[in-house]
Amino acid sequence: MLGNIFITIAFASALFASIMYFLNYKGNEGLLKYARMSYHLMITATILASVTLLYLILNHNFQYKYVYSYSDKNLPIGLLISTFYAGQEGSFLFWALCMAILGIFLHSYTSTRGDLEPRVLAVYSLVQSFLLLMITPALKNPFALIYSEPFMAPATTIASQYFNLPFMANYIFSDPATNQLFVKIDKTLVAQLTSAGIGLNEFIINGKGLNPLLHNFWMQIHPPVLFVGFASMSIPFSFAFSALIKNDYREWIKQSLPWTLFGAMVLGLGIMLGGYWAYGVLGWGGYWAWDPVENSSLIPWIVSVAAFHTMLVQKRTANENSIGAFARTNLVLIILSFILVLYSTFLTRSGILGDASVHSFVDPGYLAYLLLIIFMATFIILGGGLIIYRWKYLKKVSPINQNFLSREVALFTGSSTLGAVALVTFLGTSAPILGKSVQIEFYNQMNLPLAIIIGLVNGLSLLLKWKESGLDELLKKVKFSLAASVVSTVILSFFGIKEISMILFTFSSIFALFVNAEIMLKIIKSNFEKIGAYVAHVGLAILFLGVIASSKYDKTQDVNLYKDEPSEVLGYKMTFTGYQPTPDGKYEFEVQIEKDGKKWKALPVMYYSDYNQGIMRNPDIIPFLTKDVYITPVSYDEGVHQHGQTVQIKKGDMTEYENYEVKFVDFDFSEESMKNMMSGLGFSMGAILEVKDKNLNKIYKISPKFEIKDGIRTDKPEKIEELGLTVSLSDLQADNQTVIVKLIHEDENSLTDVNKEFISISASIKPFVGLVWLGTIIIVVGFFISMVRRLKESRS
Amino acid sequence: MKTRYYIGGVIIVVFLGILFYNFTKTNIEYEYDFQKVMTNGKVCKASGVWVKEKSFIEDIQNRKFIFYIRDANKNEMKVVYHGIKPNNFEIATNVVVTGKYENGYFNATDVLTKCPSKYEGQTTQKTDS
Repeated sequence: MLGNIFITIAFASALFASIMYFLNYKGNEGLLKYARMSYHLMITATILASVTLLYLILNHNFQYKYVYSYSDKNLPIGLLISTFYAGQEGSFLFWALCMAILGIFLHSYTSTRGDLEPRVLAVYSLVQSFLLLMITPALKNPFALIYSEPFMAPATTIASQYFNLPFMANYIFSDPATNQLFVKIDKTLVAQLTSAGIGLNEFIINGKGLNPLLHNFWMQIHPPVLFVGFASMSIPFSFAFSALIKNDYREWIKQSLPWTLFGAMVLGLGIMLGGYWAYGVLGWGGYWAWDPVENSSLIPWIVSVAAFHTMLVQKRTANENSIGAFARTNLVLIILSFILVLYSTFLTRSGILGDASVHSFVDPGYLAYLLLIIFMATFIILGGGLIIYRWKYLKKVSPINQNFLSREVALFTGSSTLGAVALVTFLGTSAPILGKSVQIEFYNQMNLPLAIIIGLVNGLSLLLKWKESGLDELLKKVKFSLAASVVSTVILSFFGIKEISMILFTFSSIFALFVNAEIMLKIIKSNFEKIGAYVAHVGLAILFLGVIASSKYDKTQDVNLYKDEPSEVLGYKMTFTGYQPTPDGKYEFEVQIEKDGKKWKALPVMYYSDYNQGIMRNPDIIPFLTKDVYITPVSYDEGVHQHGQTVQIKKGDMTEYENYEVKFVDFDFSEESMKNMMSGLGFSMGAILEVKDKNLNKIYKISPKFEIKDGIRTDKPEKIEELGLTVSLSDLQADNQTVIVKLIHEDENSLTDVNKEFISISASIKPFVGLVWLGTIIIVVGFFISMVRRLKESRS
Repeated sequence: MKTRYYIGGVIIVVFLGILFYNFTKTNIEYEYDFQKVMTNGKVCKASGVWVKEKSFIEDIQNRKFIFYIRDANKNEMKVVYHGIKPNNFEIATNVVVTGKYENGYFNATDVLTKCPSKYEGQTTQKTDS
C-alpha cells in the first residue's frame, strides 16, 4: 500500500516538476519555488518507494508477488538485497532510484550555472515521470499483491499444515508433466483464509527464490552499475534537449561533457562486468558472445563515445561567428544515445527477442510493452522534431570547413567509424524483430575492419594538431611509434599471427598503444589533468590486443578424465582426483593440473538445480600471467556403464543407433517377481528388446534385467556375442511406458578399464585474456581523469 | 568542398553495400514449419517442442545428443546436436535449434531452450557447441 502511494506521489510530482520548470523557463518566475518543491518531492518519494520495497524484501513479505517471485528465506543478505532488481518491476524502480540520486547532484550542478536548472530539469523530470509511470499500480508494479491476479504457487512454498482445511481442495492443482503440486492463490482463497483466521504471511512460508544462475557476487554489482549507466545517459540528453529549446548551443557542450564522460565510464564498466560474469561464472567460454542483450547496452555506449569526440571538436572550433563544427552531429548523437538506451530496454524487456536471446525476460506484459514504445516514440519525435525545426539555423551557425590533416577531421573519422560499429551491431541485434537472425560471423567480419580503422585513427588523431598539421610535421612525430609498431608486429607474426587481417589489427592496436603511451609519458608530470584521453586510448589498445590474442588464438580440447589417470591435455597433465560436496549443495570436481613439476588445482562445479530442473555448470579458471587455463565441466559418470550410448525407447517403438535398430517389445516382469516385490523380497525387472543389425539384416531377441535385493541393485545385462554388443537396462518407467537402455560395444570395452569413474571436461587455453580486463580498468581510469578535467572546465 | 561530399558519399554507399551483403549472407531465418526445414536444406533456426515420448540418445563419449522435435503441425524431425544435453532441457517449453537438415536429420550446432512462464523473469540456458 505504502509503496504504491510513494510511487504515485513520485510520478505526479515528477510530471508536475517538469511542467513547472518549463513554465518557469518560459518566464513565469514565481513558479521556480513550486518546481523545486515538486522536484525534491519526486526524489524523496522515489527513495521512499525503494526503501519500502527493500524493507518488504528483507522482512520476507511474501504476500507481495515481487518478493515472492524473486527471493526466499535462505538467501544470504547480499543476494537478498540484489533481488530488488532481479525482475522487471524492481529493476525499473531501481532505475528510477538511480535517476533520483543522480538528480540530487544534477540539481546542485544546474542551479549554479546560469539558466540551466529550469530547462534541463524540465526534460530530466519528464524522463523520470515516464520511468515512474512504468511501475505505477496499473502497469509493472513491484508492490502488487500475490492474489491480485490468480497465482499458481508451488506447494513447497506453502505451509503444509493448512492443506487439509476443507476448502483447500478447490485450490490444489498438480502438473501432470512434472508431478509438482501447486496452490492457486486468488482473492476468494485469501478471503476464506482470513475468515479462518490465517494470515497470508503464515500461509506462504517461503518465496520461489532467485535463479541460481544469479547466485553469485557479480549479481550484486553488474546490474546496479549498468543501471547507473543507463540513468546517467539521460543527463546529456537533457542538456542537448534544453539547448534545442533555448536555441543556444554554445554552452551545452561544455556543461554536459563531464556527464557524458561519467555516463560512458559507468555504462562501459557495467558492460564489462557483465562480460566477466559470463566468462568467469556462467561458463560461456568467453567474455563476449554478441548476445542481443549484451549488444543492446553496447550500442548506446558506442554512440555516446562517438558523441563526446565530436563534442570536443565543437568546443574547440567555436568562435564569435560560429558555435563550432558538428553541432548537429552532436545533438543527434547525444539524443540517439539516450533513445538507444530505451531501445535496449525495449528489446530486453518486451519479450520481442523471444527465441533469440540468452537472457531476455519472458513475460512482458502487453501494456508495459506498449508504454515502452510510446516512451521511445515520444523522445524520438520530440528530439528529432526539434532538431529538424532548428536545422537551418544550426547549419548557418555551425559551418564545416576543416583541413584534411587536422585533429578535427581525424576525430570526425573516428566518430563515424564508431557510428558504423554501432550501426552494424544495431542491425544484427534488431534482426530478430524481423524474424531473422545473424550469425556471429556477421559481427566479427563487419567490425574487424572498423576496429582496425579505430586503432589507426586513435593513434593518428593525437599526432595531428587542431586546425591544420603539416605532412612533414606529422611524419616526424609518427616516426618512433610507426617504427616500433612495425617491429613489434613483425615479432608477433613470428609467434603465430599469420592472417593478414589479424596482422593489420595487431599493428593498428600497437600503433595506438605507442602513440598514446609516448604522449602520456611526456605530459604526465607537467600536465597530469590532461592525460585522461591518452590513458583511455592506451586502455582501448590493450583491450584490443587482449581480444586478438584470446579470441583468435585460443585452443580448446574436449576430453574425458578418468579418475586418478593423468591425461595429456593442451600440454598439461590433467588428473581427475574426485569430488566433494560444498556447503551450499553443489559439487566441486577436483582436477589436478601439472606442468614442468608445478601443480595447480581446478575446481569446476556442477550441481542439480531444482529451480531450473537441470544440471548447472560453473567453470574454473587457473589464471597465469600470459593466459588463462579454462576448465568447463561437462558431465560426471560414476563409471558403472561408462561406455556406449544411452537410449530411451517407448514401448512398441524403435530407435536407431549407428548400425542397429533397437525395438522395445514389452516389459519383462515374471509373476514370481511381482509376488516377491509385493512381499518385500528381492525382485528383478526387465525389458524384452529386439536388436536388428542392419548390415547383417538379422534380429536378436534379448532381455536385459536388473535385480534389487536388500536395497542393492545388480545389473544383469545381455550380451549378443555375434555382434560384441552388450545391452543393459538402466531404468524403466512403467507409468509412461518407457525404458532407458545402454548399448556397449565390445571394442569400446576393451579400450579402457571398466568401472572407472570419469568427468568430461572442455579445457581451453585463452592467451592474454587478462589484457581485456586490464584494458577495461585503464579505460575507466582514463575516463575518470577526463571527467575531472571537464568538470573543472564546466565552471569557467 | 564538393569533392569532400562525393568521397564521403562513396564511402557510405560502399559501406552500406558491404553491410547489407553480409547481413543477407550470414542471415539465418527462424523457421516454424519443419516441412520446409526438411525440404529446402538451408541453415536456419528451427523452433519447436521436444518430443518427450520419442526416444533420445545421449552419447557423452562422442559428445552427441540426439532427440526429436515437433512443430505446430505435428511434423517431427530428428535432431543430432554435437554437444551435451543443455541445462533445462527437460522442462523447456520450446527448443530452438540452429543448423541444417541433411542426410535425414537436422544437424544442430546450437540448442537454445526456453523455459515455461511459471519461471517468470528467469533467464534461459544457452549451450554452444
